[in-house]
Amino acid sequence: MSEILTKAKVSLRWRLGPLWSLVSLLLIVYLITLANSFLGDSIQVQVQFALVNLVIVVALQMFIGTSGVLSFGHIAFVAVGAWTVGLLTIEPDLKRSLLSDMFPFLFDVQAPWLLAVFIGGLVGGLLALIVSPFLMRLNGLQAGIATFALLGVVTQVLTFWSSIGPRSGQSMVGIPDVLNLQTTMFFALGAIVFAWLFQRTRPARLLRAAREDGIAAPASGINVVSQRIIAFTLSGIVAGVAGGLFALTNRALQAQQLGIELTFITLAMLVLGGMLSLSGAVIGALVFSMIDVGLVQLQSGVDIGSFVISIPQGVRPIILGLILVGFLIFRPSGLSGGREIVWPFRPQRTALPGVPPKNE
Amino acid sequence: MPTHEIGLHVENLCVSYAGVPAVRGVNLEVKAGQAIGLIGPNGAGKSSTLLGIMGATARTGTVRVNGRDVSGLPPEKVVRQGVAIVPEGRHIFAELTVLENLKLGLVGRRKKTGITEAFAEVFRLFPILEEFQGRKAGLLSGGQQQQLAIGRSLMANPDIILLDEPSLGLSPTAVDTVFEALDVVRKSGKAVLIVEQRAEFTIAFSDKTFVLHDGLITLTLGPSDANNVDVLTEAYFG
Amino acid sequence: MNQFIQSLVDAISGGAILGLAALSIGLVFGVIRLANFAQGEIITASAYTLIFTWQFGWFISIPLSIVVAVALSLLMEFAVFSRMRTATPATLLIASFGLSFLLQRVYEMLFTNTVQTAPVASGLAQSIDVGGVRIQMLSVITILLAGALLYGLTLFLSKSSLGLQLQAAAADFQTARLIGISASRVIGLSFALSGVLAATVAFVSTVQTGAVGPTFGVPIVILALVGAVIGGLDKLSGALAGGFLVGFVTSMLASWLPQDFSNFRDAYVFGLVILVLLFRPSGLLIKGRGVART
Repeated sequence: MSEILTKAKVSLRWRLGPLWSLVSLLLIVYLITLANSFLGDSIQVQVQFALVNLVIVVALQMFIGTSGVLSFGHIAFVAVGAWTVGLLTIEPDLKRSLLSDMFPFLFDVQAPWLLAVFIGGLVGGLLALIVSPFLMRLNGLQAGIATFALLGVVTQVLTFWSSIGPRSGQSMVGIPDVLNLQTTMFFALGAIVFAWLFQRTRPARLLRAAREDGIAAPASGINVVSQRIIAFTLSGIVAGVAGGLFALTNRALQAQQLGIELTFITLAMLVLGGMLSLSGAVIGALVFSMIDVGLVQLQSGVDIGSFVISIPQGVRPIILGLILVGFLIFRPSGLSGGREIVWPFRPQRTALPGVPPKNE
Repeated sequence: MPTHEIGLHVENLCVSYAGVPAVRGVNLEVKAGQAIGLIGPNGAGKSSTLLGIMGATARTGTVRVNGRDVSGLPPEKVVRQGVAIVPEGRHIFAELTVLENLKLGLVGRRKKTGITEAFAEVFRLFPILEEFQGRKAGLLSGGQQQQLAIGRSLMANPDIILLDEPSLGLSPTAVDTVFEALDVVRKSGKAVLIVEQRAEFTIAFSDKTFVLHDGLITLTLGPSDANNVDVLTEAYFG
Repeated sequence: MNQFIQSLVDAISGGAILGLAALSIGLVFGVIRLANFAQGEIITASAYTLIFTWQFGWFISIPLSIVVAVALSLLMEFAVFSRMRTATPATLLIASFGLSFLLQRVYEMLFTNTVQTAPVASGLAQSIDVGGVRIQMLSVITILLAGALLYGLTLFLSKSSLGLQLQAAAADFQTARLIGISASRVIGLSFALSGVLAATVAFVSTVQTGAVGPTFGVPIVILALVGAVIGGLDKLSGALAGGFLVGFVTSMLASWLPQDFSNFRDAYVFGLVILVLLFRPSGLLIKGRGVART
């Protein structure tokens, strides 16, 4: 009898455990946003950017964390998502005068911003789907270089091809001011739920199995490539949405903003939190952003009693770089150690129920 | 240093990979002029024992070379204490010539004198290496590559030689050549430890053979056990 | 015709620069599986040294620029990569990516975002007339310099004991250690040599532009990395040839494509990379399709 009860408890916890991790992540994001909404305007803008980055990091985690394959290319999906939203939301007259080299049909294509963001997601996902048959067969270093090349291609096309945007060196301006902190937060919460649901699907489970054992999984008949294509496309959609949010938050777009530097920042967030878990992605993005906000404040000087503490301009990105490199050296599994947040009021399981310890 | 101390002494050697034990407390001793065999089924921990002795994997226990404790040393330092290994699958440098491969063997030498003699000795043992010295090692046959791998290990003038499955993938005549050479090496006063799959062959050749099972030595055999089917069956399936 | 010969010489010299840069990445990769993004920042540091010390004479400036490159290369190994020996090549790539970003910001803080200029070996930046064809002197110098360096490196790798050890370690690190080759020595050697090559690339590029900013090395290293990967990082000759190919093609595209298209020349190169990786994941020059060692 007691045995049955224990079993029931275990299985309940087994189901609730992940749900708890989702709820706690949502709560963390909600509370942090709420707390910050009482602070000044400048901080609110930074928090909004932090939430956009969080969505990008969630997208990265959906692919890199799940499959174990490196991607430097996700910012390309962010970029096309942002571009789409920019083109769909800028007033036709403004487009005609500022982006005069564009294909004429682009002048009149318009969409309400919310719809535009979803279309941006679809475009990001579509690009991911189109390139994935090429990229998803690669591993390790080759995958890193090929995805980097993808980013290079997209950045160059967006920079120079004035038929779909501003001339090189100019910005796409006039994106409407419609997105507030609260709405951004709902997008962030939505991205977390989406990623969480994805983690429970069969492709995600198969990819995790393949990640743990690069040789055994293909041998057992799992088609890793097609599972990766699914993960890459879904994460491309999330990245595209993030790009839309970026466009509406920044309200001006230049291809250079959506390139190597943003790739670095978001990868650093993922590494900081730990790329193997969704909790890691979320916590990494939040902690990194908090440090960043703190450093920005320090840059402009902080009063402590009669002292003003400030750091010189330029130190901030150096500290952020040190964080990335330091974590890769000393704690490569990140803050989360690759685990999800667990129910804090009970002793933690030492082994998964029903799984005997590995034996050679 | 007194002669009786020349040799290899392993006590309670344990090796594990990511928490999974492969060798679980092996004790063995190889003296100068002795050949010791180590046999056992696949996955018994034979190669891991050799790599553990070399310090090429994480391990615990004590390894003494010529009486000196080398337990904490990385492989490149263990070599300089007088141990050379002929790794499984030969691992000669295919892109380099035979001569260059042999020269690389000199890196692990303790004394930098007697190099000409070392080449002469290896070429006497394996005349084919002298003949093909300018050829790319990757172009040699399997048996010749094995001779090269053994020759390379001898260039370091070791007191102890560890061999990991020297007969793997070789023709019967090539196996004979290799083991004849190993007999010469043993008689020259070196200590030889051979890991092998071919049980009968190894038991007959070696002065003593240990059977390794699941990371533990379960049986010790003498040359007379070579044709004892019961003992062998026991060793592999028991 | 004359114009073609000019562009051909330029393309060979462009290929030589990227070939050397790719080789400098391949040397380190062979030994510790690190494709070093931050190689670009070694080039930048060396170039800054040339700019700031040229006034004291080339016999001070050039040796100093080599010393700086080698020192920074060894420092990276000691401070960062030597602590990551068990990391996968992908993780190492992220780490070097982070290090690259970090150093760029350090340069930005030290030397500001504006480019620093000095007439480094400006005498070389002239054209000479060879039988009616105007040829950039620098291109010729670059080709000669690269040739001499490659000859020296080949000699070192095949004739000296240390060079053989480096080759052995690059081919099979585990076995190299098992026969007594000191890991730290060959790794240090590969970083040092890679620093020397980076200094050469820095010299030629600095003479060409005369101006150095915080991201000076970035475009060079990106194309070199791409070249090294498509040529095949597993072999030094692969990395060298891949780098040369990318440099040659980029330079040719720049000379012959109309302006509207040449803006996109890196995009073509990157597209080419994806295709090559798709059909030959271990590189164009490595035999067989085989699974890449990663």
